[in-house]
Amino acid sequence: MPQRIAIGLLIGLFLYLGLFTWNIRTGYVDTLASHTGLEFARWILAPGKWVHAQTTSFLNRYLYFVGIRQENDQLRQQLDAAKLELVNLREDATEVQRLRRLLAITPPGEWTRQGARVLSQRLGPNAALETLLIDKGSASAVVVNTPVVVPEGVVGRVLRLAPDAATVLLITDPNSHIPVVSQTNRIQGILKGQGPNHDLLMEYVPQGVSVEAGEILVTSGLADIFPKGLPVARVTAVGRSGSSLFQVIQAVPLFEPRQLEEVALLFRSPDGARAAASEAAPPPAAALPQSLPAPTAAKAAVTPSRPVAVQPSVAPAAPAPTPAPTVASPAPASDGATAPPALEKRHRKSKTIRIMPQ
Amino acid sequence: MRPSSIVFWALFTLAGGWMQSVIPGVDFLAPGFILAMQEEKWTVPVWLGIIWLFIQEGTGSLAFGTGLLWYGMLAGLYFFGHWLFEARNFLFMFILGLCLGTMHFLLINVMAVLQDWSIPLQRLLLESILQILIFPVEWGLIYLIHQHLPANNHAA
Repeated sequence: MPQRIAIGLLIGLFLYLGLFTWNIRTGYVDTLASHTGLEFARWILAPGKWVHAQTTSFLNRYLYFVGIRQENDQLRQQLDAAKLELVNLREDATEVQRLRRLLAITPPGEWTRQGARVLSQRLGPNAALETLLIDKGSASAVVVNTPVVVPEGVVGRVLRLAPDAATVLLITDPNSHIPVVSQTNRIQGILKGQGPNHDLLMEYVPQGVSVEAGEILVTSGLADIFPKGLPVARVTAVGRSGSSLFQVIQAVPLFEPRQLEEVALLFRSPDGARAAASEAAPPPAAALPQSLPAPTAAKAAVTPSRPVAVQPSVAPAAPAPTPAPTVASPAPASDGATAPPALEKRHRKSKTIRIMPQ
Repeated sequence: MRPSSIVFWALFTLAGGWMQSVIPGVDFLAPGFILAMQEEKWTVPVWLGIIWLFIQEGTGSLAFGTGLLWYGMLAGLYFFGHWLFEARNFLFMFILGLCLGTMHFLLINVMAVLQDWSIPLQRLLLESILQILIFPVEWGLIYLIHQHLPANNHAA
């Protein structure tokens, strides 16, 4: 038996060595092995490798996307915050510009200025008039008829008061009547509103006097509500209607009511108030504006009392306090009786208050 | 009054005030007044009416009294109407809105004339039409919301 085993081992060794040397010489076994086993292994391993690669890739991408998603969310939040900040900064920038323009208003010497924010336009079912709601009231020393202006010109005057709010009657309201004078030709009249989206109307300008389209109308100071010389409106058309004694003069306000966000309130300083009180004596009859017919002058003087009929305790009820002599035109007033018209015109122009920043 | 009702009416008042600044000339609180008369104890519409009266009068530009007439006539119309109609009927609300719109035109006109104001009639007419259209829609909306208030006995 051991002899057989030994013989078998020798035969096996012989076969192995023969195959080995034959393979080294020919390479057939190597080729066979590579074309079978290797190929098989390739087909076995390749899908696994692909699955592995895909799995790894998926996992990597998943983890990567999780990171990207988080980073994306963070970036989006930062972008939103930056956008919000940008919007706020732009708002602040425009507000600064508006407030700078508001601060550029230079009121006359005896008047002071205070800013206010517009809270709302007309509010509620009883808001029958063209009004604004502002955030300053009697606690800020605002009184009825306080003038309200913007850099472009006059907006209106305070109509009603609360401690921290006030209603402003716009010059576009049909109940607003403001004594005005044309800036170039110094023609007086009463500027009346005609409602929203309608031009203003300058009334009681006699036929024959010259008012030009494009001319700026400024406050005459006759009503003792607005300081003299504030720009109010720009003349757009001058015409006549039938047999009327007066011209039909249309004008547009210098501000856009829907775009108002801040306004300035003008207050008479204590010195100015005392001066106004001392001037409140009835003017001599000769000092009434002679360019206007008698009803016109009476209307001009009575006008301020009209809206205040609701609140008679605050408003002047009689035409007496009107300081007419200061703006009588073109006929000479008390102080301009002998002055040449041209000189007088130049003198009056120089008194016009600058509102629009240059 | 339940806390949910207090919150509801407070929010309604705020929202109504804001809406009135968006669409001037229209009373957004009037439907709430009717709803309060329908759904709450009689003291609730009285208090709400007083508060809203002062809001409307304060924000308006007419002399005091217009709002009093406005809400007084609204209450009168409701009491008169609910004898004839089902009080929670949309048709009744539409008729009430129609009456309110007409009343807005007449009342503001008369009060303005009495105070020697002049007002643009075209704008007043537009406001009246808006009031007619908005009143029943708003009433329907707040009626639905009120029905679903927490602890409301009428909740479905």
